[in-house]
Amino acid sequence: MLEIKPIIHSLVRSKAGAVLLILQIAITLAIVSNSLSIIKDRLEYLNKDTGYPEKDVFYITTNVFAVDTELLYLIEETEKTLRGMDGVVNASYMSDVPLSGSGSASSFGNKPMDQDEEKGYLSARTGQSNAGSQVFDTLGLVLKEGRLFNETEVLKIDGARELPQKVVVTQDYINEVYPEGNGVGQFIYIGNTPVEIIGVVERAMGAWPSDEAALNYSIFPYVGASTSQKFVVRAASGMRETVMKEVEDILLAQFNERVIMNVQGFDDAKKEYQASDILMLRMLVILIALLVSITALGIFGMTVFNINKRTKQIGTRRALGARKADIVRYFLVENSILCIAGMTLGAIGAIYLGQILFEHYSVPAFSKAYIVYTAVFILSVSILSVLFPANKAANISPSIATRSV
Amino acid sequence: MFFHYIDLSWRSFKRTPLITLLMVVAIAIGIGVTMMSLSVYHMMSMDPMPHKSDKVHPVQLNTRDDGSDWWSKDDLPQQITYQDAVNLYRADIPAIKTPSYRTGYSLHLGDDNIKPFIESVRVTGLPFFQIFDIEFVEGQPWTQQQENNAEMVTVISRALSERLFGKESGLGQQVYYDQHLFRIIGIFDNFDHHIKYYDLTNGDFSKHEHAFIPFSLTEPLKINNWGNTNGWKFQEIRTFEDKLQSEQHWVQFWVQLDNKEQYQDYHGFLNNYLIEQEAKGRFEREEPAFAMRNLTEWLDYNDVVTEDNRVLVAMSFMFLSVCLANILGLLLGKFLKRVPEIGVRRALGASKRDVFAQHIVEVSMLGVFGGILGVGLAQLGLWGVRATYSYYSELATMDLTMFFSAPIIAMTACILAGLFPAYLVCKTNPAICLKTQ
Repeated sequence: MLEIKPIIHSLVRSKAGAVLLILQIAITLAIVSNSLSIIKDRLEYLNKDTGYPEKDVFYITTNVFAVDTELLYLIEETEKTLRGMDGVVNASYMSDVPLSGSGSASSFGNKPMDQDEEKGYLSARTGQSNAGSQVFDTLGLVLKEGRLFNETEVLKIDGARELPQKVVVTQDYINEVYPEGNGVGQFIYIGNTPVEIIGVVERAMGAWPSDEAALNYSIFPYVGASTSQKFVVRAASGMRETVMKEVEDILLAQFNERVIMNVQGFDDAKKEYQASDILMLRMLVILIALLVSITALGIFGMTVFNINKRTKQIGTRRALGARKADIVRYFLVENSILCIAGMTLGAIGAIYLGQILFEHYSVPAFSKAYIVYTAVFILSVSILSVLFPANKAANISPSIATRSV
Repeated sequence: MFFHYIDLSWRSFKRTPLITLLMVVAIAIGIGVTMMSLSVYHMMSMDPMPHKSDKVHPVQLNTRDDGSDWWSKDDLPQQITYQDAVNLYRADIPAIKTPSYRTGYSLHLGDDNIKPFIESVRVTGLPFFQIFDIEFVEGQPWTQQQENNAEMVTVISRALSERLFGKESGLGQQVYYDQHLFRIIGIFDNFDHHIKYYDLTNGDFSKHEHAFIPFSLTEPLKINNWGNTNGWKFQEIRTFEDKLQSEQHWVQFWVQLDNKEQYQDYHGFLNNYLIEQEAKGRFEREEPAFAMRNLTEWLDYNDVVTEDNRVLVAMSFMFLSVCLANILGLLLGKFLKRVPEIGVRRALGASKRDVFAQHIVEVSMLGVFGGILGVGLAQLGLWGVRATYSYYSELATMDLTMFFSAPIIAMTACILAGLFPAYLVCKTNPAICLKTQ
């Protein structure tokens, strides 16, 4: 009933056009399915939960240039000023700001450094920051186990550095060094110096969202005197814009021998850090949209041409008793045959392209499911683009066939 | 004949406007997408100093134990330690060489006229200006004498001078970097290259520094670097002096070697230096490991052209090929429909070559139209990139090379697509075509 045999015969007679369409469909399938796979990977990364109320939190960097300033006192006063602002929920000093793309990281183990060859030695890299006790409330971190540190436990050091004695870490990090779940109250070691893990927070992302260990994070109760000082501030919902606008003037009014810079929301900091990924995502989406429309246009154009070329044949078929539906079906079946051939070729190409990309670039392994999704999509688009010219063909009057040659 | 062919093509376009438009749009979109990713690629992969990029080398030393790995392809750190930087800088060997790193200060004039602001400042040696061809508009770099005496002198860019002093010349003026008072002794022309090739450690396309101060100030001013500091073994660092003596890597080191002999000599020198340092017990290595890439190799080594961009370029060329397949199919239909007409031309004496030329002219015209429209689309796309992503603002632009290559690529692509249909058309036997009429 589907008249497959005559269709194939006629396709074989005009090979070139058919081959081109098949190739076009094949390449489209290969590119679109691979792009979808990359897009999905990027979306997952971009939407990964950071653990912070990003829309309410922002940070500021201040650089003090005054001579002989009591830097520790200034930090305290700045925190107080920030907390006193209208619309501010809480504020805290931090040595390194999460999501900002700049920070520090180290590997700490569950045993002293000199025992690193012993059995049961585990160590993992973690992002780290020093901070005051209000940092947890400011960043909206959720305590899971143990306790948070209070202000009296915070080491305030002006001069040669000292090592902190306590730390609060994330669940992800403690899982790596104390996988049995008995980590709270135990120690991690900075070199050979033990630091007690007093609490675990559910989730907090470090300075680099793209890091594979992005959710390993440690916060030390420590404030070091330095001319470059950073603060994180949490505003009441919807108040952040206003607070961010006023903050520079208010801080300069409190102490003016410093520069206030990088007043930036957490969501914007993250967006800036991920800008190239967002760009890639957009480019791929545009590429897919254009590609599919070009292929659809190609199918449309080819069908129109086929119909023009075969006007007489179609008229003859109609004169011999073919119904309009038969004519439409003829073109649909022809298109489907081309699509299926193209997709078979395209599927092989997609897998091959996926492999090349996987081997040479840091893109995720290609899942074959995307071929199926894309194939279904392309088939529907191609059917849609055949329908219109096919209907036009079906309206060719049988009398055409009987007109003079 | 050429103009006659152009006339014929124009008539042919007018006869089938829809199909022609379709083809032009297809080629335009293909060219647009390709030129867009190619432009960014071109800007990223550009050689910043074509006249001497083979003579300028960053020095990489592996002063770590065997087995300590690093993110780079060959486990060599991109920066060296402060002590190595000082030793190499002082070494008595014919080469133009300099250490360099980034720091930053609050700049102000000590009065209320200008609101204090933060600037990145590069700390480096006098040879830096020679190695990277920095041109001075006014004054000059500090002298070797001034550097040796660790004088508080600075050179700044024209832009910074304008920001601080407006139209007045900044030369000879004084400026505060934090609480330190510096004297401006030179003003250099702004950097005009978008790749920050002399320091790839903090963003390959970050802004250039607008102020430079002598390397010898590091110790007296206890300058902390702004940028990456990487350690490989545990060392307790409490004070600034600890940091200077530590095994942490945070200084970049550049050397310019003008000929092969100098290169060989310096290579041998580094080898001996590492053997010497190992003998002091700083690290344990079987073989000294170091590298002196040239500038272009260095950009490549640091993946200045991002992977994403390479993937995009590859994908856009595949995309272009889809557009071409599309056009090829359409041309095939269009040209074959015209066979009877060709038969008449052939019968009247046109040679196969004439017919072929006629069709090639027609597809070239398609290419030119598509190329022009494509450049427009690419500009639109690049504008979109610049608007949404300021970091790319210097990169997402089309320079003249790219601008003029677009129509050429479009034309070549179209001619490639047109070859087969044109060949088919002129292969047909005129007799048969005439008969069917």
